[in-house]
Parts: sequence; C-alpha cells; structure tokens
Amino acid sequence: MRRAEGLGLRAAVVLAIGLIATNAFAQADLTGVWAPYRGGRGADPALAPPPATPIVLKPQYAAPFEAKRKAEADAAAKGEPIASGAVACVPYGMPRMMSVALYPIEILPTPGQITIVTEAFSEVRRVFMNVPQLPMGDVPPGYYGRSVGKWEGDTLVVDTIGIKPSVPAYQNMPHSDQLRITERLRLVAKDYLHDTITLDDPGVLEKPLTYTLAYRRLPGYEMVEFVCDNNREFIDDKGGTHLKVRER
Amino acid sequence: MIALCSMLLAGLLHHSFAMFDTTKQVTLAGTVTAFEWTNPHAYIELDVPGESGATKHWTIELGSPSILQQAGWKFKDLKFGDKVTAIVNPLKSGQSGALLSRITMPDGRVLTNGPAGRQ
Repeated sequence: MRRAEGLGLRAAVVLAIGLIATNAFAQADLTGVWAPYRGGRGADPALAPPPATPIVLKPQYAAPFEAKRKAEADAAAKGEPIASGAVACVPYGMPRMMSVALYPIEILPTPGQITIVTEAFSEVRRVFMNVPQLPMGDVPPGYYGRSVGKWEGDTLVVDTIGIKPSVPAYQNMPHSDQLRITERLRLVAKDYLHDTITLDDPGVLEKPLTYTLAYRRLPGYEMVEFVCDNNREFIDDKGGTHLKVRER
Repeated sequence: MIALCSMLLAGLLHHSFAMFDTTKQVTLAGTVTAFEWTNPHAYIELDVPGESGATKHWTIELGSPSILQQAGWKFKDLKFGDKVTAIVNPLKSGQSGALLSRITMPDGRVLTNGPAGRQ
C-alpha cells in the first residue's frame, strides 16, 4: 500500500514537472522590444520573413486597385506623391502598425491581456486572452478593431475584426468592414519572432493572403516618444504631398 | 548605388520620399539656424552663402528622432551657429528644401539619415 502511494506521488511529481516544462515551452515569453527584421545580405534566411502570397482581389476591385497604383507611381515620378494618412500624422492602425519602417514595437503580456505598443505614432493595441470573439457586426469599425488571443502550443494566435475600410491594409489593398486578420506569433529562434498574418475578406478578396513580419529582440532598448507636433509636410487639393520650406 | 539608397530610404521613412530627387545630390556648406528634434521628422535650417555673397536658406528634412538615434544622433548634436556640410537630395519642385543624405558635423563626425546596413 505504502509502495503504491510512493509510486503515485512519484508519478504526480513527474507529471507536474512535465506540465511545467510543457507550459514553459508552450507559452513563449514575448515580453520586450522587437525591431523589424528584414534579413538582407549575410542574414540567416531561416530568420528572414518568407515571401508573401499574392493579393488576389475580386474582379470588380482588381482594376481600380491597379489604376490607383499606377496613379501613385505617376504622382511619385512627378515629385508629388499621393499622400498616405501618415503624412497627416494619422496613425496606421491594423495591420500596418505592426511594421513601420525600422520602428520597434513593444509587447507587454499581463494577466488576461497582451498589449502591443508601437514606437511610430505611439499606437496601442490590446489582445484580450482566452475570451470569445464577438460577431463581426458587433465590433464598431476602427483602427485597431477587437483582438482576442490564445496560445496554441508555442504559437500565440490572435484574431482581429472591426477594422474600418479607410484604414490601409497590406500594400494599401482595399478591404471592407468584413476584414478578418489572423496572426500567428512564434519564436523561430532565440530572440527572433515571426508574425504570420492572414487577411481574409470574402467581400473583396478572391482568396485569403498571407504574409510574414519578422522581428529581432532589442534587449535594453528604451522606447522613445513619438508625438507628431511638427508636421511640415502638407497635402494639396489633389492629394499630393509637399514640404513647407522656410524662407529664413 | 542610387537604387540602394532608395531602398534604404524606403526602410527609414514612414511615407513616400518621392518629393525628393534621390538621383541628385547637392552639397550645402553653411551655418545652422535651427535644429528641430521633432516628430514626425527632425529638421535642420541652414543658411548657405552663395558665390555672389547672397545667403540662400535651406530646409533639410531628416528621419524621426527614433531613426536618427539608431544612426548615432543626439538631440543636442547641433545648435544655432554651428558650421556643417550636408549632402542632400533636393526637392523635385526646385524649392530650397531637401532630404538629408549625410552630414559632416562641427566635430568632424559624419552622420547619415538612418542606420545604414542594420539588420
């Protein structure tokens, strides 16, 4: 009897250690500051983001999108690039905020929530953990929508809905208020994080598209403020971007 | 080289830089009248003496403080009266505004408009 109890205790300890180890492996520690990582010369290709799948729009959206891209290229060639919201210091919103030039992002897990703060424009998004998502039409359209997350093994899966159509998506492709953003965040190596993002919008996209953002951890980096209070660029009546030049 | 510079700039700026002619480089040796360490961009205001003796004023756009810090800049690096030599990409419009490419500081350091080659 005593021997059986001993075996039971030993089994329980092994099980507990196993659970702790599994848990430690399952939920990676994403806490900290991360810089966009684009690979490049000399970089390990396994750490750089893999190629994106193409944007396949429904026919009624494809032609206007191509025309818009051509107009943008023509305006840029003239030196009057068509303004993006960023020129007017309007925040990016989701999903663009997750990778802006070289600006880092900070990931802050707390009980029940993971908060992501970006350095560019000091944007904030909140991922509510282990709660159900609302129906699509119940989230008021905005810049960040509503994000819910859960761990699937070592991968943080985040579902976001409620992004309003005027918020630019991947490569400024059009989208509707039916856009669903699914992110899978996973450490691919020590201090290297991939966020694999799938955009699905049955109203606009012929099929979902997937692209990956890669990040490198920046230990000790102190995020700096970004308050857009000296914007000297302005947008003309035709949407072109110009710079206010001082006389003296 | 120009293509490389364009790719680098695209990674540093949060919007299109097509206002500036990145195929042209102009050297501006002058005196700083203001250094604004601000968002979304920092600016250097520069008085540049011309050959005729008349001074021409230039507005030079830089990256944001975050990006400049990554390239070794500090907010106190320049002040009124400092002498610098800047290599810039001018506005396509012909106005005396430009995007900084690199600059020789009063202490001789050469700084760029962002962290070149950082991965």
